[in-house]
Amino acid sequence: MRRWLPWIVLAVLVVGAIAYASWPRGGEESLSAHTLRIASELRCVDCESLSVADSATQSARATRADIRSRISHGESDSEIRQVYVDRYGETVLLKPSSEGLGALVWALPIAALVLGAGGIVIALRRWGRQPRLAASPEDEALVAQERARQ
Amino acid sequence: MRATLGILGIALGVGASAVGVFLLALGLARKNLELIRSGRRCIFIVLAAAVIAVGAMEWALLTHDFSLRYVADNNARGTPVLFTITGLWAALEGSILLWVLILAGYLTWMAIRFRSRLEDPMVGWALLVALSVACFFFVFMAVAANPFHVVTGQVPLDGRGPNPLLQNHPLMAFHPPMLYLGYVGFTVPFAFAMAALITGRFGEGWLADTRRTTLVAWGFLSVGIILGAWWSYEVLGWGGYWGWDPVENASLLPWLTGTAFIHSVIVQERRGMLRVWNLSLVLATFCLTILGTFLTRSGVVNSVHAFTQSSIGPWLLTFLGVVTATCLALIAWRADKLHAPGRIDSPVSREAAFLANNLLFTGLAFVVLLGTVFPLVAQALRGNQLSVGEPYFARMTTPIGIGLLFLMAVAPALPWRAASGEVLRRRLLVPAYAGVVAMLLTLVFLSRTLATVLAFGLATFAIVAIARETALAVRSRRTADRGGWIKSFTATVRGNPRRYGGFVVHIGVICIAVALASSGSFGSKREVRLRRNESTVVGGYKVTFVGTHKATTAQKTSVSADLKLSKDGRDLGTYAPAVSSFPNSQEAIGTPSVRTGLIEDVYLTIISAPNARGRVTVGIAVNSMTLWVWIGGGLMAIGTIVAIGPSVRRKIRVRPGARDPSGPPDESIPEESPTVEEVGV
Amino acid sequence: MKHPFRWVALAVGVGVCVLAIVLAVTVSTDPHSEQNVSRLVGKRAPAFSVVGLDGKAVTSRSLAGKTVVVNFWNSWCIPCRQEHDALVAWYADHHDDPSIVLLGIVREDTQRAVRDYVNQQGVTWPVAFDPGGKASLDFGTRGQPETYAIGPDGVVAASKYGPVTPNVLDQMVAYAQGTA
Repeated sequence: MRRWLPWIVLAVLVVGAIAYASWPRGGEESLSAHTLRIASELRCVDCESLSVADSATQSARATRADIRSRISHGESDSEIRQVYVDRYGETVLLKPSSEGLGALVWALPIAALVLGAGGIVIALRRWGRQPRLAASPEDEALVAQERARQ
Repeated sequence: MRATLGILGIALGVGASAVGVFLLALGLARKNLELIRSGRRCIFIVLAAAVIAVGAMEWALLTHDFSLRYVADNNARGTPVLFTITGLWAALEGSILLWVLILAGYLTWMAIRFRSRLEDPMVGWALLVALSVACFFFVFMAVAANPFHVVTGQVPLDGRGPNPLLQNHPLMAFHPPMLYLGYVGFTVPFAFAMAALITGRFGEGWLADTRRTTLVAWGFLSVGIILGAWWSYEVLGWGGYWGWDPVENASLLPWLTGTAFIHSVIVQERRGMLRVWNLSLVLATFCLTILGTFLTRSGVVNSVHAFTQSSIGPWLLTFLGVVTATCLALIAWRADKLHAPGRIDSPVSREAAFLANNLLFTGLAFVVLLGTVFPLVAQALRGNQLSVGEPYFARMTTPIGIGLLFLMAVAPALPWRAASGEVLRRRLLVPAYAGVVAMLLTLVFLSRTLATVLAFGLATFAIVAIARETALAVRSRRTADRGGWIKSFTATVRGNPRRYGGFVVHIGVICIAVALASSGSFGSKREVRLRRNESTVVGGYKVTFVGTHKATTAQKTSVSADLKLSKDGRDLGTYAPAVSSFPNSQEAIGTPSVRTGLIEDVYLTIISAPNARGRVTVGIAVNSMTLWVWIGGGLMAIGTIVAIGPSVRRKIRVRPGARDPSGPPDESIPEESPTVEEVGV
Repeated sequence: MKHPFRWVALAVGVGVCVLAIVLAVTVSTDPHSEQNVSRLVGKRAPAFSVVGLDGKAVTSRSLAGKTVVVNFWNSWCIPCRQEHDALVAWYADHHDDPSIVLLGIVREDTQRAVRDYVNQQGVTWPVAFDPGGKASLDFGTRGQPETYAIGPDGVVAASKYGPVTPNVLDQMVAYAQGTA
């Protein structure tokens, strides 16, 4: 038990810090932060692969102003997003929705990682059951030969 | 004249590479060394051909020979000399020329490096494969992407000049060549991996033969990517340096699989395991460089970098298909021989950590690949358009990145085979506590964003672990040699350059990770409209609009706004973001002006040019720790150079009593115990 | 399953083939085919209020009951210059028809550049600035030139991305007037 104590303390500290960091924060999100959050998920339509939040084109600025006024008129995030999807199609969302075909782009990497990790775990367990390989006299001779050559 | 010379060069390249491939194939089939020798000689002709073609193009560019369509499109009389030279890679056809030149260079290096081993079929096949790749690119250039087309009709008096974005910053001279040196360099390990599969000798020989080249290519690719990020930060003006643009992703993909390879290769060298895996990673890296070229140069994806649409898509796609099919067929054919003996004894060991590392790197590559091609897949399957952008990549890659940081902290301290609890405690407890302290300090003083807290904590953990490992090694060397600290340090590094070079690269990556994490949670950004002599304060910096000035050159006309910057009453100088218009583009191009600092950058842009009433709208962003991305890139380059350096091994002098008796026993097992990795390198 | 690598290689091969076919299909189709029709077509046109060159407001309400052709453009875009002659030719035929209005709305440009362009190139139809880019945003424009035909009922009947020709404009107007 005493050997493990420093690790347990460490784990407690880490878990505590993570919990504190991810604890929901109190306080209203400011209007500009809210605008920026939605804007960063919308594609700027007349520049390639930049978000409305990052772009300085007139249309991006107009979009930011529009989002801002919609937020202050009390529209919800999904309503605002829907306005833009209606206007430009799903291509305006930089983060594909997790429904329909878009779900694949989220699920596939997670599935691949889980499968890969599973494969490694299974391989490790199988190796664990195998006996260790012992070096045969031929192997030893080869090693000796190689050593002598150096 | 220049067009003729260039076309001659390309034709010579096609001929020499085809003849070379033929001679090598015949020589390998008949086991005739003379034929192989002649095939090897063709490589030098290929190099000469590439030099002639590139020379002709540069000559045409420098003499503004607008009878060539490429020159007329990418050069103008007013283009400065630097951007006239870089015109070679300002558009598709020219950049394929650069590609071919670099490939010929690597080929020549192979031909010289392995000149004494031509009777080895492995070398013969490797030359054959690499020469075939060169042959494809020469034919491709001759047929589909010929840079030496002559304009029809009258020769224009002046050219259009390069794309304004490509003639705006000197980094343009370095970023593409570095990137291509990296991309193309992976052809060498690819050729040897193919040769290993063909000859059936997939032991560790091909790894030893290509270890340095792989590292060199990887180093160039890393530097190329970082320079690209820097260029985009200095030129594009949106304040960031990585936008998950398809072209950026395309350069990242081979980097990710290449990075996975240079880690997992160590497991094969040490333990003889993961043979298929390593082969697959090398083959995949090469395929991904071709896929990246296809994606970005054929116009299938929208991108800031995409050159105009052209007919090259089918060519590259066919080449990619043939290469991939050949690789897979070879692996399937050799399947019965590929199984390697060996086992991993414990999940807490260096080799298991390498497995986890590979899982995460390939997972990351999969995320990036999927996100890049998914819009195409969605469109092909359902005909609807959707985008995958920064928010997706950020969400998916952050956890993987955090996992990799964790491994980077832990793995270098893990012993091979199995780690006892005692070893873990001694090697990792102090660095881990340092990491936790950093986490808590970040939480209390800096940020409550989870990713940032974890990144700062793990970065500290990793740095302390590296420092501890190095310090202990230097100390034991010092006691053994009875030398000074500096001498012992250099001796330690030179004793195992690969390990310590790797550490330097790791420190570079940590710098970048910290910079990425802090750019996500600190900093501020505003757009302000200013009258003359009006000021505003953003993020503690006071910005005063002093005036405007206009500058006209043959290249461009720029209007800049002079902004005086000060902080806490201290004058920080005047910065002048500009808007320039180029003769060949109606749209004005903004050029940001950046005050670089160790902790914060102030990033100034003009959003709308000074109007008649003298008002200007400027973007003012305070970016956190951006400088550390470039520093990290530099460290990665230095680390790579250290790692490819020769290993100066300590002469083992057994002097009883010389070893530090207080030194921990596991530390005295040198990391550099003789293994395969030193044989034949 | 004696040699699992064979199966893995086969699986990867199938995956790559699918991707290659997808890419090949995408290469051979126009990447913007779906984008060629605005989502606004068939819906009520957004209300707009833009500012004419003379500084007076031009609003959607003031144009109600007419067939309105809205052309988003600016002075620096090359396709806009390309379609300039088409607009001139078409407007020459229709400027005396009181039921049809051609309105150019400026997108992303400066006042001075637009005025210079209007004077030099001889733009005779009404041109208006779009303060804050509101109208251009509400129409869901992605760039310029873009042209929308609004019927007397206020519904967007047709749209065109990229330069128009007189024929295209006639057809758009026919849709808007319900005579197509």
